[in-house]
Amino acid sequence: MTLWDLKQGTSAKVDSFVSTLESSYRTRLSELGFHPGELISCVLSPSLGAPKLYRVNNSVYSLDDSVARLIKVGSDEQAA
Amino acid sequence: MSKTILIGSPNSGKSLLFNRLTGLNQKVANFPGITVNINSGKSLAQPSNEFLDFPGAYSLQTISGEEKIAVDAFYQALQDPEISSVVCVVDATRLEKGLIFALQVINACAEYQKPLIIAANMGDVLEQHNLSMDIAGLEQALGIPVVQISAKSGTGLDQLQDLAINHRQLPSPYTSDIIASDESVNHRQAQQLAEEYGPKGDLLINSQTRLDQFFLHSWFGGLSFLVIMYLLFQSIFTWAAPVMDGVESSLQFMAEIILPLLPEGVISDFTADALFGGIGAFLVFVPQIFVLTLVVGMLEDSGYLARAAVICHKPLRLFGLTGKSFIPMLSSVACAIPGIYAARTVDSPRKRWLTYLAIPLMPCSARLPVYSLLIAAFIPASNMFGGLIGWQGLAMFGIYVFGILCGLLVTALVSKTNKAMQSDLPFVLEMPPYRLPSWRPLLRNAWSRSKHFVTKAGKVIFLVTVVIWVLGYFPNQGASLGESWLGQMGQWIEPLFSPFGLDWKYGVAILTSFLAREVFVGTLGTLFGIEGGEENIISLAEHIQNSGLPIGAGFALLVFFSIALQCVSTLAVLRRETGSWRLPTQLFISYSLFAYAAAWLTFVIVQAIAG
Repeated sequence: MTLWDLKQGTSAKVDSFVSTLESSYRTRLSELGFHPGELISCVLSPSLGAPKLYRVNNSVYSLDDSVARLIKVGSDEQAA
Repeated sequence: MSKTILIGSPNSGKSLLFNRLTGLNQKVANFPGITVNINSGKSLAQPSNEFLDFPGAYSLQTISGEEKIAVDAFYQALQDPEISSVVCVVDATRLEKGLIFALQVINACAEYQKPLIIAANMGDVLEQHNLSMDIAGLEQALGIPVVQISAKSGTGLDQLQDLAINHRQLPSPYTSDIIASDESVNHRQAQQLAEEYGPKGDLLINSQTRLDQFFLHSWFGGLSFLVIMYLLFQSIFTWAAPVMDGVESSLQFMAEIILPLLPEGVISDFTADALFGGIGAFLVFVPQIFVLTLVVGMLEDSGYLARAAVICHKPLRLFGLTGKSFIPMLSSVACAIPGIYAARTVDSPRKRWLTYLAIPLMPCSARLPVYSLLIAAFIPASNMFGGLIGWQGLAMFGIYVFGILCGLLVTALVSKTNKAMQSDLPFVLEMPPYRLPSWRPLLRNAWSRSKHFVTKAGKVIFLVTVVIWVLGYFPNQGASLGESWLGQMGQWIEPLFSPFGLDWKYGVAILTSFLAREVFVGTLGTLFGIEGGEENIISLAEHIQNSGLPIGAGFALLVFFSIALQCVSTLAVLRRETGSWRLPTQLFISYSLFAYAAAWLTFVIVQAIAG
């Protein structure tokens, strides 16, 4: 499953990135906290396909489907 | 003179700190990436030291052209012998994020032998929430001085300035016992340091999430966005109106005192027509510029704009844009120039280019005097729903929405038909914490923007007013405007504007407005001043009402001004940002033709409806 599939109020650890993601952007996502092994929580998932809000440690980022679908997360999601 | 670099991750409060240290008025906002140039200023406390404010960066490893320029400039500055120290600003409330970047800066400063100080900003927020961080522990772990500061309240700044000048110990690269891949070692180190020495607890993030659940809610979020935007435009009229009336009354009062003291003739006529009629008509609208800048600044400072960008992302994507285009587009509502600069925060080159197409169509503050004048002349100043909604405010909202829709239609059309720069960067936007706006910098910024508007546009308006007055007054000393030099020239251009019901006076005012839109008001004020003789000191809106201008022509003028690109400065800045005259020339020609055609169509439709 990808980060985009994560439901509001649940968390999962980042597994890997989809291979089509450019390496420079992979590095930037890692620097922002979206790196393998990190626990990410989906704090807000508005309807109508709007960008979702993800919490990484003490920061919150908004990601749209075009990028959240490129981050693979573990399937053992847990309540945040 | 010694120099100190201020650097930090976006939205760490670096620009507010720079303003505090230098007393300057660099634009500050609670939105990532607002600093786009390197600004410098002498320290207020130690004038022998200069501070350089660098754009915020998430990393010294760049992913876009703009980031590369900023990071290259930082590395170049590190090699400058005049740079005596570096201050890396981190947000203490989100320490981990700041430390990821700070650790890279430590390594760079160690390599280039520059003393470094860490400024842990937002001390006031920690204090407010009874949170604290272990400054001494972090200082010991990093081996460099760490100072807790609040750029907002000014605490800790004396100590920081003292260290910036006197601290000469060089940093060593940070090492820890963490073993991980290159990509994540820096992050793991920052995480460990933040856990050990940073503030504990989720208080701040939880309150932020609660507010986000409201402001980004599928329905309430959209509704609150519309209400906030509507209040923004309504405030331009309701809050500014008493001050505008005050300015108008003061000008009339001054005219009544000064004009009788002057000898009759050229000097008296010039003072009445050109100074009070022309420049005075323009000054009346300055309070609206102040209110607009203040309200947009409040939204930026509160952290709401980043949420607005999220709300707008999906709808803007339909028009080929991104949520990040919203900030430059909203900044352009104050002025297109900061809007064009703010477009640098749009990291995708294609979306940035499309944002450039939309910016000149955003209803900027230079259009405001023209809109206000025409609305005051054609729309009744009455209210509905017990005074809650005014017709004039509603009309202003309508014309603003029209400009925005035009911008979106253009980007949608170009996005569908032009496939240049198709490779795109995805949408990732940091959500800054919500904050209560700091009034002092906001008021200072609004004042500075209004002053800049008066001094910059005022010079052009004064020059154009004098030329227009001379051409309109001679050779018959103002006896007949139609027979003046300007009147004779005006007859030649009248056929150009008569298709939408305008006589030569409006035609001359439109032509002069291609220097800057607001010149339209000054030119028209001067022309009506000459024509009205001694009775000219009435409001320009009344002059327009008395001139018998058809309502269709008034609406056509509104449409023309909401589309045409009449701003030399915008064209020059676009040229600077895009590196060639190609885009500015294309936009100038196409928007002029579009404006003309739309104005003609509006005139025909409104006149047909009005009968």
